[in-house]
Amino acid sequence: MSAVLFFVAAIGAITGAIGVVTLRNPFYSVLALVGHLICLAALFLLLRAEFVAAAQVVVYAGAVMVLYVFVVAYIGGGEETTGFAARGAGALRVVGPLFALALAVELCIAMLGSALKGISGKGAPYVAGFGSPRQIGQLFLTKYLFPFEVASLLLLVAAVGAVLLARRQRGLEGPDQQLEVMIRAPRPAYTGTMAEAAGSARAAGATEPVGGPGAT
Amino acid sequence: MIAFANVSYFEPWWIQIIKGLVIFGVAFAILPLLTIYERKLLGRFQGRYGPNRVGPFGLMQPLAEIIKFATKEPSRPTTSVGYLYRIAPMIAILTAVAALALVPFGDVQHIFGRRVGLYGIDVSIGPLYVFAFAGISFYGVMLGGWASGSKYSFLGAMRGAAQLISYEVSQGLALVGVIITAGTLSLTGIVHAQGGMWYFIPQLAGFLVFMVASFAETNRAPFDLIEADAELVAGYFTEYGGTSFVAYLFAEYMNMMVVSGIAVTMFFGGWLLPFGIHPPGWVDPLVVIAKMMAFVTFFIWVRATLPRLRYDQLMAFGWKVLLPLATLNLLVTAIVVVS
Repeated sequence: MSAVLFFVAAIGAITGAIGVVTLRNPFYSVLALVGHLICLAALFLLLRAEFVAAAQVVVYAGAVMVLYVFVVAYIGGGEETTGFAARGAGALRVVGPLFALALAVELCIAMLGSALKGISGKGAPYVAGFGSPRQIGQLFLTKYLFPFEVASLLLLVAAVGAVLLARRQRGLEGPDQQLEVMIRAPRPAYTGTMAEAAGSARAAGATEPVGGPGAT
Repeated sequence: MIAFANVSYFEPWWIQIIKGLVIFGVAFAILPLLTIYERKLLGRFQGRYGPNRVGPFGLMQPLAEIIKFATKEPSRPTTSVGYLYRIAPMIAILTAVAALALVPFGDVQHIFGRRVGLYGIDVSIGPLYVFAFAGISFYGVMLGGWASGSKYSFLGAMRGAAQLISYEVSQGLALVGVIITAGTLSLTGIVHAQGGMWYFIPQLAGFLVFMVASFAETNRAPFDLIEADAELVAGYFTEYGGTSFVAYLFAEYMNMMVVSGIAVTMFFGGWLLPFGIHPPGWVDPLVVIAKMMAFVTFFIWVRATLPRLRYDQLMAFGWKVLLPLATLNLLVTAIVVVS
């Protein structure tokens, strides 16, 4: 049963990863990435890392990818090709495969360096409570306290930076209202509210009709 | 053969399958009743009878509607994306049903000499499981709206994306207070920890934040901007008809039941009764369902009472009021528990 699940999830993960880079439509590309991440979460579950699996789905599939889908759905055109291919960036076409090749060689060295002992071995034994939130929390606050705090500081800096950049580019409040004032087009008097229609008040910023109120 | 993790519960596999079928069956039997319940109740709130033509007191109305929806011709707009348009309602209903598996309806009971837990599953990650499926259920809304190829659907889906992300944070933080107090993530463990006092008393702020965020997460009034019918026709499922439409409708009611179940479990003592009453084990599921129905009634009551928010109000409220409140509640709880 677990072997079947493993192969289903593994094939799903690989298909999703290939789909991300080969699909032409950015929206499908993002959806393939979502599928890939969910399959990864299934693999984590098979390794009894329940908390990591849930965090994977909550953070990546449930929050990060939601933003991706949001942005792509808003500005991504239907049949538009994704970024680099459309611009025909020549240098990237050369450098990209080179980096991929370097990574593949590195992975091969790492895997073959272990003499593939993992295939015939049984793997590490399961310890009760492994992968539970309790154990992960204990490790975070004892053994890995420093990296944990550094990572949280990094995230805080990133969040503050994002707010700062958003403020500098557009501003959060002021300019919008100014723009609204600027684009308010002049309209004829007595075409606004009920009070104006009854002639008892004049619209703000309205032009005076040709003959004045009593012309007709 | 690689040694994979061996997940062994104390129940044999066939009991787990039977449990799954029973929970699924009961939930799906309640759903049509909820639709008629909501419409009858809304009718009373608005000084009218509600549906009263089909069967005695109009109680056969859901049956008539199911037949009507099931016999409709399946159709889709020419601008829609075929397979995504079909998959999206399935995602919505699948995630809602999966989340229901977590709600505990009772403690471990001895039935015919076997130990059976009256819940779908009792996972070590507890509420995170629900949030994981809530995160995926967003794709039901988003893909449905996007694949319909209609502006109204798309706008509804976009609102849904922003709204679900915003309120998920507050909802999660509100539950952390309970988890800290109980000291466990297991939902049955949390219910047992409420033997002395139900958590809505010490965690009142957390409970209120959770309920408000839940209204937004289940797209119920006054936060139903995703399907605001005055401006977006019906939001993300505007283009859906027949059984696909029913799938979305059922997913909405199912989400309402799941959220009620979680609220009952986390804040209202699950299957426990006040004043030290200990009924026999078979009463437990009835207690939980009765409490859930009370919450569902509350959901309907709010829908009949409060007007819909404006979109910017919704966002400002979520980020500027609810999130700081949830964080503050968490901080205070943590300080109280530690000291």
